[in-house]
Amino acid sequence: MVRTVYSPEHCLQYLEQYATQENFVLGLILGQITDARENIIHLARTPDDKTADTVSEETYDSQKTESVRNLLGVSEAWVADHAKHVTRMLPGGMFVQGIFITSDEDVFEDPNHFSKIKAVLNFIHKTLSSNQYMFGNYPHMNERLILHMSTSTKVLTCKSIEVGSSKTMSMKPVEWKFLPKMQQWQRLDCYYEFDDVYPVIVKKSGISVKQQFQQILEVAYKTIQSSVMFIDGELKDGSDALEQLIKKKRLKSSTKTTQDAPKSMHVSLFVPFENSLPETVEYLECDGNIHFSGVVSSSVFMYPKATVSEAIAAVKQDIIRSLASRFTMHCDALIDDNLLPEEKVCFNEPPRRVLVPVGSLYLCDYLFPGEAPAEALLSVKELLDLQITEGDVVCDVETPADTSEFDALDRDTSSEELLATPQEASQFMYITGICFAMFVLIVSIFIHYYDAIVQFMGKLLTRS
Amino acid sequence: MSPRLKISKYVFERLSKIDTNETTGCLFGLMYDGTLLVVGMSLEFFENEKKNYRQLLLSLPAEIELCGVVKFAKTLSIESRSKEILQDVDITDNPLFIIINEDKEIKAHFLVHEKFEETTYEVLPTEELWKQFIHVRLNTILPLICEATMPGVKNILQNKRKKIASGEVSFQIDGTAVYLFGIASDVGVTGTSTETNVGDFIDSISSEQSSKKKKHTLNKVEIVSVNLVLKATKDILSEKLVKTAVKMMTTQRKPAFCISMPLRVDTLAMIHRSTKLSELYTALVEAACRSLKLLETVLLEQLGQEGIGDGAGLRLPETFHFLPQELGHFVTRVVPKDIPDESMEKERRLLHEQLCLPLDRPMFRRGNAFSNNLGKLINTHEALPSSPVKLDTTVALVRGRYTYHHYMQDNFNDDGWGCAYRSMQTIFSWFRFQGYTAIDIPTHRDIQQCLVNIGDKPSSFLGSKQWIGSTEVMFCLETLLGVQSRIIFANTGSELINYTPELVHHFQKHGSPIMIGGGVLAHTIIGVEYNSITNDTRYLILDPHYTGADDINVVVNKGWCGWKNSDFWNKTAHYNLCLPQTKPVI
Repeated sequence: MVRTVYSPEHCLQYLEQYATQENFVLGLILGQITDARENIIHLARTPDDKTADTVSEETYDSQKTESVRNLLGVSEAWVADHAKHVTRMLPGGMFVQGIFITSDEDVFEDPNHFSKIKAVLNFIHKTLSSNQYMFGNYPHMNERLILHMSTSTKVLTCKSIEVGSSKTMSMKPVEWKFLPKMQQWQRLDCYYEFDDVYPVIVKKSGISVKQQFQQILEVAYKTIQSSVMFIDGELKDGSDALEQLIKKKRLKSSTKTTQDAPKSMHVSLFVPFENSLPETVEYLECDGNIHFSGVVSSSVFMYPKATVSEAIAAVKQDIIRSLASRFTMHCDALIDDNLLPEEKVCFNEPPRRVLVPVGSLYLCDYLFPGEAPAEALLSVKELLDLQITEGDVVCDVETPADTSEFDALDRDTSSEELLATPQEASQFMYITGICFAMFVLIVSIFIHYYDAIVQFMGKLLTRS
Repeated sequence: MSPRLKISKYVFERLSKIDTNETTGCLFGLMYDGTLLVVGMSLEFFENEKKNYRQLLLSLPAEIELCGVVKFAKTLSIESRSKEILQDVDITDNPLFIIINEDKEIKAHFLVHEKFEETTYEVLPTEELWKQFIHVRLNTILPLICEATMPGVKNILQNKRKKIASGEVSFQIDGTAVYLFGIASDVGVTGTSTETNVGDFIDSISSEQSSKKKKHTLNKVEIVSVNLVLKATKDILSEKLVKTAVKMMTTQRKPAFCISMPLRVDTLAMIHRSTKLSELYTALVEAACRSLKLLETVLLEQLGQEGIGDGAGLRLPETFHFLPQELGHFVTRVVPKDIPDESMEKERRLLHEQLCLPLDRPMFRRGNAFSNNLGKLINTHEALPSSPVKLDTTVALVRGRYTYHHYMQDNFNDDGWGCAYRSMQTIFSWFRFQGYTAIDIPTHRDIQQCLVNIGDKPSSFLGSKQWIGSTEVMFCLETLLGVQSRIIFANTGSELINYTPELVHHFQKHGSPIMIGGGVLAHTIIGVEYNSITNDTRYLILDPHYTGADDINVVVNKGWCGWKNSDFWNKTAHYNLCLPQTKPVI
């Protein structure tokens, strides 16, 4: 059976537009594979390679752009980098499924072009598999899509090719179908909460924030993989389709709701305690402790005929992928990677997740502390080739932490914070507290003796 | 309205036998269907202002609570100390007050509006107790990482208890898709109907496991295993949802020491079969909290000791459940790993005294711990149909648990020569179960090695298929366990009957299985019945020559474990009996 993919109709307009306006365009195909159906959600043009023209943008601009304007001039690393950045924006269960090209040549026939395509796809594959916690590559199939639209004839061809294998790769035909109607998605939401205390064990080589984040990620991955997932408070049969759950519910409540977008399902994860620790008491000398806390908000979108197990896998991927994305972005932006700098208390605040609308669903972006939602518009434009407005960005799925909140958390007995209280922070709070108290005292004295003071002042004035 | 009152037969018997100088005791009970059932009691010594019963309560299965006071006095009068205990009673508005006079008459009263109202009670037979109640056993492992100080441990365990009590945890019944949720969730139970009661539910899972109805059952205590899962997600609709994105705070502190260990929670709740599954949640939360408090006590005790103070020598706490025959309820103890039982005698003695248990044999050593599944049949004779009690007969049986060892077990072919070895293993298992030893049951080779070591046998004996007899069993018990044995020689099988009084006395005093060898056969005697009118003796025999699978139905129906008349013995062969003796220890 020929592999069939379903795409929203606006993708056709998107391709036609580029095929008409430009000689050559390359971009990524984003989508979701489930047993029931393979859906494409978006096509995103790879932005122009800026690294190639670092010498002098102004002089060589036209020339450089011209040189990239054909397939053979494309940098594999650049496209792979695009794929890496886009993957961060994808919720769990969505992947970079391949590339699209609009050009004049028949890319499938010309051996030079074909080997270039292979190189690009393999480079993407390699780049995306470098961090397993990003879930960059769709785990169950290694055949990536190549969608081509001829700029002259506007004929659309889609094929697939296997990546990451040493075997000679043969192309397979793929049927690309456009859906006249907007695809419905089943949304699943959850807030995964972290509240863990780790001792800081400094080895001779020291310890970096990156290593610590990696450790947290490993623990989180194991924990989340072992967890049991409930949908709307119930354990569901893994082979059930998501839409069946809604139908069952409808039957139960028997109230007729309008047939538009199905409601979001609430997901909860339960973690069993498994013994990963050795059966002994470990006694460690440590240099302090780490409190890792807060939430990862997760919203995944599934084809309604997808199964419960597929949805579960997607949610788990989403939480880990989001965590890994934040950590990478945070570490990339770090100036000092030392986990234990001079200060007694040190905060590391990775960027937080915001949602950005793409078609009928949401992808995500990350905002560093202090960044405005407008920053998200830039990455959406740059990486997804999409124009949205500031109002479209959903900023309140997560809130940024401020230091006062850290103090509050620190004193909160329900948190597992134990080893030490941040001395300086509390001292600071103490002094501010005293100042404030003094101020209140003075004001209250003033108010209390207001009449007397006024009288006294009056007397003074009349005397003079 | 005051509840109906039932008293467990176990408690009733201990109360009526009690001989103590103490004047006050505590009563422990549980409520079901408007009935208060007294399942346990303890003496209160009022030592150094410490309320012993509060600590003891942590060792009892959840649902069992303090329910009243027992006084050994003629009249109804309460002094201040008893009053204090009565004020601690939460389970009912009408605390129970039992008085026992010098004639051992037991009278029960409820305290209703500051006045005593005498009440009638019913004694709940022991079989009924085990039939009506099941135990839910919660097992989980909580990772414990904290500063190696007493406040550090206290703090983290308090947090863990809070977390468990907060409704964020859920319990899964092992091997099923049934999860129990806390009040925080709108559904109490998933995987089965909310209205299902615990008894029916257990029957439904056990009937799934074995469709054929068992004729003989051995384990009278029914235990349902449950594990714990922690909710890692927040409720989206909750008003308390804090959506602060993940962040990391590092606090420096030098030098600091921390401990990291798996905290094994293993705890019980005693549940009436009519309890709804949805009502199980709170019992399990209480059970988990009791366990955490016990674990905390043991950790703090260790940290308080000199030398361990800095945490370096801290030992992992281990949990054991005990069900002494006399007690009728479980007692859970947590002890530091690898600390020998011998060095914890003081604590055990206190427990024996508190619970009015005999002081001449171990009951709370590791070996005494309750275990449900050992791969071998336990106390096979309990599956025999109970014979009606006859007036003029005396029955004396093995006291406590043993495992049935016989030919071909452990993938070892000893058919035709290993019967005395197997009999010895059964005896050994008894000493293990009674807590006298923690040594593993010796294999045939271990036994042979032991005999070679003491010079009783040449080294060629090792690995051979040579038989051993009662004296060899005696030597081994002496060498391996320090157990002395009495040897009885009977010149002929028919002469054995003369030793019946000795056997009766042995089972009453020591209660250990007896090995008997004669002719070419060895057997294990685990009971004796003597009829004073007919002068007949019957022997309860456990036969090590059985070669089949460990199926209790076969063992009982085919007489591999059963009562034999005195003609069972060969009239012409002479017999040697090895009667292992016990020493009074705790």
